[in-house]
Amino acid sequence: MADVTLKRVHKSYGSLEVIHGVDLDIKSGEFVVFVGPSGCGKSTLLRMIAGLEPISGGDISIGGRVVNDVPSPQRGIAMVFQSYALYPHMSVYENMAFGLKLQKTPKEEVDQRVREAARILQIDPYLDRMPKALSGGQRQRVAIGRAIVRNPKVFLFDEPLSNLDASLRAQTRVEIAKLHDTLDATMIYVTHDQVEAMTLADRIVVLNAGVIEQVGTPLELYRNPVNTFVAGFIASQRMNFIPVAPESGGLRLPGNRLLALTGTDVTKVRTIGARPEHMELASAETAHLSGTLAVIEQFGEYALAYVELPDGETVTVKLDGAPELELHQQMHIGLPEGQVHLFDEAGRAIR
Amino acid sequence: MRNQANPWLTGNLFVLVLGMLPAIVLIGALLYFTAWAFAFSFTDLALVGRKSVEWSWVGLENFERLFTRRGFLESLWTTVIFVFFSAIVGQSVLGFLLAATLRGTQSTIRSVVEVCIMLGWLLPDIVAAFLWSATTSQTGLINQLIVVPLGFRPINFINEYALPIVTVANIWKGTAWSYLLFSAALDSVSREVVEAAKVDGATPFQRIWLVQLPIIRPHIATNMLFITIWTFTYFPLIFAMTGGGPGRQTETLAVFLYNQSFARGNLGFGSAISVAMLAIVGVLSLFYLRLLREPK
Repeated sequence: MADVTLKRVHKSYGSLEVIHGVDLDIKSGEFVVFVGPSGCGKSTLLRMIAGLEPISGGDISIGGRVVNDVPSPQRGIAMVFQSYALYPHMSVYENMAFGLKLQKTPKEEVDQRVREAARILQIDPYLDRMPKALSGGQRQRVAIGRAIVRNPKVFLFDEPLSNLDASLRAQTRVEIAKLHDTLDATMIYVTHDQVEAMTLADRIVVLNAGVIEQVGTPLELYRNPVNTFVAGFIASQRMNFIPVAPESGGLRLPGNRLLALTGTDVTKVRTIGARPEHMELASAETAHLSGTLAVIEQFGEYALAYVELPDGETVTVKLDGAPELELHQQMHIGLPEGQVHLFDEAGRAIR
Repeated sequence: MRNQANPWLTGNLFVLVLGMLPAIVLIGALLYFTAWAFAFSFTDLALVGRKSVEWSWVGLENFERLFTRRGFLESLWTTVIFVFFSAIVGQSVLGFLLAATLRGTQSTIRSVVEVCIMLGWLLPDIVAAFLWSATTSQTGLINQLIVVPLGFRPINFINEYALPIVTVANIWKGTAWSYLLFSAALDSVSREVVEAAKVDGATPFQRIWLVQLPIIRPHIATNMLFITIWTFTYFPLIFAMTGGGPGRQTETLAVFLYNQSFARGNLGFGSAISVAMLAIVGVLSLFYLRLLREPK
């Protein structure tokens, strides 16, 4: 257990700067997820914490000790790689014992720790197998087991589930959450999958192009995104963004209706955001937006209706149950008060 | 089994044989020379003179001579030393060390070294042999540049240390192959596996010895197989540098075979030597092929 602190951490390759001064405090025992699109620098940041990538500027401390020049093994971290990175020429047991053997740990202790980790992860039946004789999910457990036996202060996960199929991913996600509860260790987890971020994280760090866009609990990010990037990235159905023109007393919507807003200065608002699950069907008189139904996706428990507005914009509406709608029919949509996010010209949220 | 769609083709023996003709010719040509050498290893065929026409079968006499007369066993020993030091120790180890150290380095340094190693490989054997004997002779570059200015009497390296010089020349010439093969092999080792070892606390040496080397073991065995066979039968460089001399110090089996067959004209005995070489290389290959097998 240890806290991790990043202070103005930079990374550049030659003249190309990929991490632009990141400040972050990770508390001991916390589960933090770095999320962002590919190329945003989240893996680089993790590899810098791991000591696999030298930092170009700033300070990284683990457990109160600055580790900028400390080699990986002495940082008290363990890492789980995307490709599992098991040693192909060693059995499962040897894979897990390798790090301990290098540290000249007594044989009985190695054995005890490997078997303990194997028991937690339920891989004891495979200890004598070679990695290539294991399935993807089993390899992933071995990789996690290899991290556990080292008894690290900080666990680092680099997109550990992206090579698994959908059902196994969901299952392993739950197991990682349980593992965090059992081990009570600090965990930093990198993913591009916002579902993993939402479900696993104590706090999410949203990264974009080498800068932190927002840090917060999953629900903070869901309820109060600071800009259109975070708003669009978090949650399984992407938020709808609708261009608006501010007027006295409200915002002029596409289709020329007025969204009345009181008590807020709307002069700077250029875009509004509304999540599909917050939009609702309304009558023609009370509706804010009207359009035709372009596509309907039925999932059984809910349906996604893609509604084309007169100016060509498409908005997504999430409807409960299995509504009976016909393609190209007229749709009237209401925007409930309090569920509309306001953004200025630069995409920053206005509260 | 008859081809249902085309019974005429599969049922007609003549057409089938005609279709196989190119393959038969090719296989025949390949077998012919081996069979020739094998057959004449039991004769006293000579290159010139009466026995070049009126040769006769002598049974196993040539093979007995391999072991009873001086020459073959000494040459075999010379060859073993030459193969072990120039190919296995020299080319393989040096090639691997270069590949391992140059992997992480800047591309310019890497390119320069690669070009230098490749030059030795690309240079024709005869040219290389001339350069090496000229450089190491009594009046050669090494004596002019190093030995004489230091106040020693010039040493005729190629004469006094013939086998070591030939060995070094072959290392210089052949390292490029091992380097290229090991570079490709090391590239195939996943970067994340090496990083995992780093996080696990393995030193750079341990990462190579305990992780990378075992993973590329099949490549090592393949490389050993190739360079052992090549070096075992390697002829031009040694022959052009020393001709097997001085005395018989650098007479490897290939040079011995040449001297017996063409300098002395004993084609029958020469054939027996080549059959023996074939057998030795075959046994070595079996050994390496066992190494190639994956462990259980």
